[in-house]
Amino acid sequence: MLNQLAETINRNIQGANAQAFIPEDAKLHGSVTIEATKLFEVATWLRSNKELPFNVLQVISAVDYLDYFEVCYMFANFNPEDMRDVILKVKLTDRVNPNLDSICSIYASANFQEREAFDMMGVRFNNHPDHRRILCPDDWEGFPLRKDYVYPKMYNGMEVFPDAKMNFEDREFEARQKLISKAQNTASTDV
Amino acid sequence: MQDGVVLTTLDDFLNWGRKNSLWPMTFGLACCAIEMMATGAAKYDLERFGCGAFMATPRRSDVMIVAGTVTFKMATRVKTLYEQMAEPKYVISMGSCANKGGPYWQYGYHVLKGVDEVVPVDVYVPGCPPRPEALIEGVMTLQKKIANERLLRNKWVKHA
Repeated sequence: MLNQLAETINRNIQGANAQAFIPEDAKLHGSVTIEATKLFEVATWLRSNKELPFNVLQVISAVDYLDYFEVCYMFANFNPEDMRDVILKVKLTDRVNPNLDSICSIYASANFQEREAFDMMGVRFNNHPDHRRILCPDDWEGFPLRKDYVYPKMYNGMEVFPDAKMNFEDREFEARQKLISKAQNTASTDV
Repeated sequence: MQDGVVLTTLDDFLNWGRKNSLWPMTFGLACCAIEMMATGAAKYDLERFGCGAFMATPRRSDVMIVAGTVTFKMATRVKTLYEQMAEPKYVISMGSCANKGGPYWQYGYHVLKGVDEVVPVDVYVPGCPPRPEALIEGVMTLQKKIANERLLRNKWVKHA
């Protein structure tokens, strides 16, 4: 199905560069990767075509791979005679200002999902009708689920990690134990 | 005539009245609120202790049961609600999250490490979430505390 879908996307949308990824383990989910610039057109086509229609957008999630972001869209078709779903992946190499086209005008359920992706990962969606944070407070700084996120010290006059409550000795002990076990592991592999 | 006379101090009388009509505020933040509802419902029946009239506004309530995770976004609201309550006011911190951050204690960037950072807490109820019996014991501990107060000497009564 994935190969067929990638082929039809390539046939219908110029430059989408759709590629199917099918894992060797049959239990795992496969996916289709497309170009970020063609996302809007691909989503429009997925919704409206007669060949392989998808009428539901289930999830949008963003993943941080340190040197790039990946935004995953899960589309499904809820017609009982013709059930199918697919994971569509988009790669964003620009880490400073990751940009994507919003698909709210095609799938209305994308609204909150895109706001969440923006809130947690900082992926910006062009032409979004209501582009605000959804979970964090509006004056929150940074994007919490990024791998390079730095924890704030204070928020609105409240301490995030108060010294009196944190028991830092335990944390140091834990960190030291990790370092020791790591050193032991490397030593044993060297021998 | 002798059987009809009861002697008590005014403090004791006032405290007796106050401790047997503690009105909590309807205020649930997370899963602890489910246990709080169970405590208020028929099986555990918080009304037996005069504590079952959950008020929908802070201005009519005496005790705030902080039931659940207090995030930073919510902490400012908790503080506002506490300030809106009329004196005398009490706070029960219910569950590990409200006590000290709970599972978000070490790496939670978004959770207040204990609601006592923003409001003064009278009774801490441990548990994750606490069983209804534990909350009832917390309420009864608060009632004991109220019974021993010297109400008329409080500054907010003197200057009223």
